[in-house]
Amino acid sequence: MFNFKQLASHAYRQYELVTCINMLEPWERKLINGFFLIMMTLVIFSSFVYLPNYLQTLMQFVTPLAGHNSGENVAYVAQKMARS
Amino acid sequence: MYIGYFNINWLMNTEKGHVNCSNYCTDSNGYHFRIRSLRRKKEKISHNTKQLFLLLQSPTSTNYHPDKKTIFNGAIFGKHQEECKPNQAEGKLSPELEHHQKTSFEEVPLHTACLTYLGFYLLMILGYINQLLFVPKVATEKNREGYVALYDAFESFYSRYVYRRVKDCWNRPICSVPGDELTLKDRVTDDYGWSFKFTGTETRCLNLGSYNYLGFAAAAGRCADESEERARNDGLAYCSSRCELGDNEQLHELESLTARYFGVEDAIVFGMGFATNALNLPSLLGPNCLVVSDEKNHASIILGLRLSGATIKVFKHNNMRDLERVLREGICYGNPKKGGTPWNKIMVVVEGIFSMEGSIVRLPEIIALKKKYKAYLYLDEAHSVGAMGSHGRGVTDYFNVNPKEVDILMGTFTKSFGSAGGYLAGSKKLIDFLRTNSHAHCYAGSISPPIAQQILTSMKTIMGEDGSDTGRKKILQLARNTRYFRRRLAQLGVITYGHEDSPVVPMLVYLFSKIGAVVRTLTTRHIAVVGAGFPATPIMEGRIRFCLSAAHTKEQLDYALEVIDEIGDDLGLKYSRKPRDANPIEY
Repeated sequence: MFNFKQLASHAYRQYELVTCINMLEPWERKLINGFFLIMMTLVIFSSFVYLPNYLQTLMQFVTPLAGHNSGENVAYVAQKMARS
Repeated sequence: MYIGYFNINWLMNTEKGHVNCSNYCTDSNGYHFRIRSLRRKKEKISHNTKQLFLLLQSPTSTNYHPDKKTIFNGAIFGKHQEECKPNQAEGKLSPELEHHQKTSFEEVPLHTACLTYLGFYLLMILGYINQLLFVPKVATEKNREGYVALYDAFESFYSRYVYRRVKDCWNRPICSVPGDELTLKDRVTDDYGWSFKFTGTETRCLNLGSYNYLGFAAAAGRCADESEERARNDGLAYCSSRCELGDNEQLHELESLTARYFGVEDAIVFGMGFATNALNLPSLLGPNCLVVSDEKNHASIILGLRLSGATIKVFKHNNMRDLERVLREGICYGNPKKGGTPWNKIMVVVEGIFSMEGSIVRLPEIIALKKKYKAYLYLDEAHSVGAMGSHGRGVTDYFNVNPKEVDILMGTFTKSFGSAGGYLAGSKKLIDFLRTNSHAHCYAGSISPPIAQQILTSMKTIMGEDGSDTGRKKILQLARNTRYFRRRLAQLGVITYGHEDSPVVPMLVYLFSKIGAVVRTLTTRHIAVVGAGFPATPIMEGRIRFCLSAAHTKEQLDYALEVIDEIGDDLGLKYSRKPRDANPIEY
């Protein structure tokens, strides 16, 4: 537990230094922290909601013959990509 | 530590009478034996306990802490060994090889460079938002509608919205002699750096920020006593220039001593080091001259060169190939403004130790080039005089070069001599020319008598003319401190720039926010250092500059290194990817 706390505080200090948060005024800190939080949320949200679909389509595109419908041609994949 | 802890438990038990004595009373012989051993143990315990308490008091193993010590400036504590080597080039290898072996400029890791730029852009964007939304808390002029701004817009923006955030790390008022230790006056800010208030308290700090290379800046001692006496006899100033009423015997003595110190024909002294460069270069150079200047030269040189109106060509820092290219092009193509006619004269301007980079000029190679292309050489020894060479005579002494091969030797008395002012030394003809043509000589006030006395006394001490070997000891101590500190820092894994014999040690921290963080943390740990950021260095190369002194002892340096090690882990300063020396470094 103690170790984790130390690790977390160290990570936060590194983040503070990289984003220059340690030399900002409180409202600026909130702004920058908020900005990074929103960006992170968006990235995580989109990677959960959209990424699996994208990856699936991409996999089909990259390996067209290994897909479940072996008789299909490449044009079908392109159509599917356009739809999704 | 463990032993100490173990023993204190033991001791507490005995004091409370918890020790079962029956073990020791089995038989008479054994009893006596064991009692004796118990006594011995008790003595050991009390010794260990003392050590433990000392350990608990100070976080270091060195037992040194700036806050605990009594005020005592400018003395050499360390044991002096005659066999230790002064700052001196070995001369076994060729100058080029020796330079490359001893100088290091490690490359910045790519991700650090990216993060530095990211942080800087963030600061700038926030600054613009700030400027847009709020009225700055600064004095503004009234009734100035229609006027063009008098001050540079970007400069004032930068100092208001970027520099202000870490302003508390710079321009700190001190209230003691800046010797090996100094006393900082504490101040606080309630409005994020717009204004400061004194709290009335003071902090005693280890001083790693002054150019007090030989430790002559001291409140007590021979220099201070003689300066005081001189002030009582001759007053504080002549209030006149050298050409009028400011000339006196003492300054003539100083000039002849300076000439003797450097082994040249004559010298001229000025009351201000910056003006020595800025006002004397224009009297030596004119519009039809070519100046080849190192890119890391000091602001005073750059100002002087611009005032002179000469054409300035810059060569890459300490790069001889680039210097030769610039010289050759200058000679081949002549002055392009006058249709390619030859230059009146060509002058190479370099510094001895570059104060921001901690590197040493490659003097033997530059002298060879200067002879080959028949150019003049102007050598600014502001930082190197006193600090380099076995006799403290600067880089000419360091490389064992005849000082007469350098056309113009320039330097300051501000650093190693612990005083103020500057000098130019060279041939009699040159100095006579300067005496009639130099603006700094004709119009500026002459050096104040106590300040000149400080230079005289410290210079005589370095030369050994005071009959003691204090000067030599100081030179050796500085050399030893420099090598020890630089090697230990390399062992810690931080990136330092420059030559291993240079007492200016820049430690790279890169990020702008880390400069502030490191300076603040070190101040709370009672170490005073200087940070240098964007306008003084390239954006990406924020650095902390340590300046070593002969006044520092091993204990003080160990304390500083221990703290740097600790905060290096904490703040992430250990960028170096070089292999580290696993062996302990010898002092």
